[in-house]
Amino acid sequence: MAGILYLMAFVLQKESQKADEYLREIKEQSLLSEAVRQCVEAAGHEHEPETQKTLLRRHFTYRRNDNTHWFTPSLSQLLSLNFPPEQFVSMCRDLRVLNAVRDYTVGIPLTHTQFKQMTVQVLIDRLVYRKLYPLAIEVCRYLKTPEYQGVSRVLKHWACYKVQQKEESDEVIAKAVSVKLADAAGISYSEIATKAYESGRTELAIKLLEFEPRSGEQVPLLLKMKKSPLALSKAIESGDTDLVYTVVMYLKNELNRGDFFMMLRNQPVALSLYKQFCKHQEQDTLKDLFNQDDDHEELGNFYVKASYKDQRLEARVALLQSAVDEYYKAKNDFSAKTTEDEMRLLRFQRKLEEEKGEQLVGFSLHDTMTTLLSVGLHKHAEQLYKDFRVPDKRFWWLKLKALAEKEDWEELEKFGKTKKSPIGYLPFVEVCIKHHNKYEAKKYVSKVTPEQKVKAHLAVGDMEGAAEAAIERRNESEISTVLSRCSATTDHLLMERLNRAKATAVKK
Amino acid sequence: MAHTEWKDAPGLPDFSLLKRLARDQLIFLLEQLPGKKDLFIDADLMSPLDRIANVTILKFCLYTSSLKYTYFLFFFCRLCFLIRPRIQTVKWISDLVNADKVAGRFRRYKIIFTPQKFYACETVLEEQGVYGDVTTDEWNFYILPLDDDILSLELPEFFRDNFLEGDQRWVTTAGSALRLLQSVYGSFSKVYGIGRCAKMVYESWRELMEDGEQRTRQPEFAKVFLVDRDVDFVTPLCSQVVYEGLVDDLFRIKCGSVEFGPDVTSSDKSIKVMLNSQDKVFSEIRNEHFSNVFGFLSQKAKNLQTAYDKRRGMDIQQMKAFVADELKGLKQEHRLLSLHIGASESMMKKKTKQDFQELLKTEHSLLEGFEIRECITYIEEHINRQVSMIDSLRLLCLLSITENGLLSKDYRSLKAQYLQSYGIEHLLTFANLRQLGLLEEQQAGETLTVMESKVGKLVNDKTVGKLTDAFSSLAKKSNFRALSKRLALVPKSGEEYDLRVPRDMAYVFSGAYIPLSCKLIEQVLERDGWTGMEEVTRMLNGQEFAVTGGSSSSEARSKTDAQRIVLVMFLGGCTFSEISALRFLGKERGCRFIVVTTAITNSSRLLEALLDNSA
Repeated sequence: MAGILYLMAFVLQKESQKADEYLREIKEQSLLSEAVRQCVEAAGHEHEPETQKTLLRRHFTYRRNDNTHWFTPSLSQLLSLNFPPEQFVSMCRDLRVLNAVRDYTVGIPLTHTQFKQMTVQVLIDRLVYRKLYPLAIEVCRYLKTPEYQGVSRVLKHWACYKVQQKEESDEVIAKAVSVKLADAAGISYSEIATKAYESGRTELAIKLLEFEPRSGEQVPLLLKMKKSPLALSKAIESGDTDLVYTVVMYLKNELNRGDFFMMLRNQPVALSLYKQFCKHQEQDTLKDLFNQDDDHEELGNFYVKASYKDQRLEARVALLQSAVDEYYKAKNDFSAKTTEDEMRLLRFQRKLEEEKGEQLVGFSLHDTMTTLLSVGLHKHAEQLYKDFRVPDKRFWWLKLKALAEKEDWEELEKFGKTKKSPIGYLPFVEVCIKHHNKYEAKKYVSKVTPEQKVKAHLAVGDMEGAAEAAIERRNESEISTVLSRCSATTDHLLMERLNRAKATAVKK
Repeated sequence: MAHTEWKDAPGLPDFSLLKRLARDQLIFLLEQLPGKKDLFIDADLMSPLDRIANVTILKFCLYTSSLKYTYFLFFFCRLCFLIRPRIQTVKWISDLVNADKVAGRFRRYKIIFTPQKFYACETVLEEQGVYGDVTTDEWNFYILPLDDDILSLELPEFFRDNFLEGDQRWVTTAGSALRLLQSVYGSFSKVYGIGRCAKMVYESWRELMEDGEQRTRQPEFAKVFLVDRDVDFVTPLCSQVVYEGLVDDLFRIKCGSVEFGPDVTSSDKSIKVMLNSQDKVFSEIRNEHFSNVFGFLSQKAKNLQTAYDKRRGMDIQQMKAFVADELKGLKQEHRLLSLHIGASESMMKKKTKQDFQELLKTEHSLLEGFEIRECITYIEEHINRQVSMIDSLRLLCLLSITENGLLSKDYRSLKAQYLQSYGIEHLLTFANLRQLGLLEEQQAGETLTVMESKVGKLVNDKTVGKLTDAFSSLAKKSNFRALSKRLALVPKSGEEYDLRVPRDMAYVFSGAYIPLSCKLIEQVLERDGWTGMEEVTRMLNGQEFAVTGGSSSSEARSKTDAQRIVLVMFLGGCTFSEISALRFLGKERGCRFIVVTTAITNSSRLLEALLDNSA
């Protein structure tokens, strides 16, 4: 059938009426489309371009017929309907590619069936192996292979080949590669660099790695090439901590300790990461690190921290002593002094613990004094107060609280009279009220400074007194405070007075 | 005044999808170790896990789930550990494996790291010689939706690791979280950010984007704003006075739920309550200043009463309908209402006390910058009386930040007193605080503020501004005062601030201060970039950026819903006050904010992260 069509084509070329007869013959067997398909297929198996053309021209035949009205319209419609052009188009493409590779300069005599069997991918691979990069790229572009599998892959192979060319200089190659690969998507420069490195061109490899956008790809190769400083800085640049860790851990095993520390010193990010690691894994290394940096401040902190981990008092004091030395070296007098104080306190606590059997070691100064006062060891508390230059205010607050807690009102009164209270007497009032002792509270109201009188009176619930004090001071806001505490039913008179006073206060 | 939904609020994307994704992956991972197994869950992961996969799901795929990893009794020869990638935990597991080896027991171990595996952890496994005995996996559980508009990474350690220890391992995690959001909800048209960490997160995110394939779909967010916590330390250090913030300060909201103790529930049991927009009562009061809450609640109670009262005078038919339709809702509301009333009562007790008022007064004068001497005296007393360890520290930090560091004399005396009160181990805490710039000593020769004020008297106002900037760039300090002036963070004192009708974001701090972080977001969104804010960014140590995203197509269709949704990511945690402020801002500007944070924080969490308890 295809044969008849083929024949017809010849006739058609000569514009003979006979064509119509041939065609009718086929049509009668209603196999026209099959015939066209066969023609196209046959073209695929044909090696001679001219024959291919003739066979393919069959496809156009009906179109020409259409123009010249040799066929009845129904027939041409039938033809176009039954035979979609896709197959024809793709066959044309395939044939072009096949013809190109069959060219004697290339020399891959493939049949169409072979080609379909082995796929475009493999064909490109073969071209790549023959180093026919331009042709491979052309094929990719022509067949519209996705860039990632097509052009980029070929370019990568080209680059890998390029870097092995010993006669050209590093710069030239690096430049050529970067120019060619600039706008290709999905190129892995690290693979090319690996190739370069394998063929002994480390410098070139480094240059190529510069183009690699993903640091995750750069770093392992750099490590392999023993370019660890570069690897480290690349890893840090990437901001990917995990990558930095990879390098740091590698270096730790690779270098001797001194070199390793030196390298970290230049990379603060890596250093802080490593410190973090050491904190959990190797306390001693941490110390060495600080030592090397002469970071006495941190060393001091390190010893202080260590002292809390140790349960034995002697060890703790010894560690604190080291801390003191370090703090002095760091010229941090404040921390040094405080740490010395702490040592003294620890010894003091231990001594008292042995003498009095009170649990004290490890308490802060404040808590120690609270404990001492609450068990009635006033003398010892006083001693701490003097020895450690505790501010008066603090001591008064402390003692006030402790005595009230014990409800030792007698002692409290004595204490209140020892000298003028540095914290005023309002706290005395409040503390008594807190322990529900109005009677004691009242004792101190008179001692409170004028500014706090109102508050003191209110605290003990003496409305009259509060009103009196407020009016005397002619202070508007204080009068309002008292007013807000008055209840309309019981303090009617008082409220009137206050309102009057308020009015005058406002006037002024 | 109740925060009701305004009419044309843009709809929020459905975040429950994230939960489903995480849950499915977890189940898949667990099923990979076939058969019955003991599952160990990192204590920190319990609450988040509870939110996405309830225990029934876990029971479905395992026989037993031991809740804490300090639990030592094993039933099966297959052990599965679900942990955060921490060196300490991994070490603990290695010890366990080694102990088994010594005892000659043979078990199978699987470690699932979430949200990702770190090389350091593998190194530990390797060093301990158990690398070959365990299999590891990753569970990419990056984001936990806490509410309609709050997403959390649940990484409280982000703050300390990143800002104090200089360990940037979580940066990629944050980047991956953004990437996840992008792949599920579409890409963003514009990204702004400020801070070193923000920049790094953006970089890592961009890199991830380039690696993976692009999905072009209708974006559900318009803009993203990344902000570092260390840009604004003042806000989280202030006492919170918005209801949700107060609940967090007092009762500690954990993963969106809170446990109210017996004093709130007025029974002998404590009750665990979920706090989110599902709770009708809570969603109306969460953003309110505390002073309004009680009035609102009592109004609500009255309404409820009338609703109940409807029963009277109903005939049988109506009664039936009432019981069927309304009663359950009313009962529910009743329960919630009584809880919140209980909670606010207990807050009242604590917060209306004189102490708290004075504390707030001190904070406000620190923010405004006057009567500093009185404030110092107050702080001193606070320390001396041992009122509260964290609060004292908080005030100290606030003082230092607002005043650009303390004078040497004050610094030493306050520090000494603090150590006397709370023990010498806080020497380490102070070292940490200094490193972060939270509590500093003014260096000799750097008493610029003094000089500044002297110069200020001589020349006119404009030059003072310039001089201030010049000085502050020299000092490279927190510059809070100058910032506050430029951005008008502290409203003029003297004006009455009606908290019932908030007029700006300052209401979240009783009208005394607009959160710096939120103000920055407002300004940048208004200007569509950082132009005109060069002074401000310089005072914040720069590192700002604004990038137009890949999908330019979204520019064309500008005024859709998505364009009015802004994603704000806080790196290092954000407070409920900030969230409330942003909700308010959104309402004013007709947009919605979605907050992504590494964790919900507040003053105590922030400072506790910086304590150095070696215990």
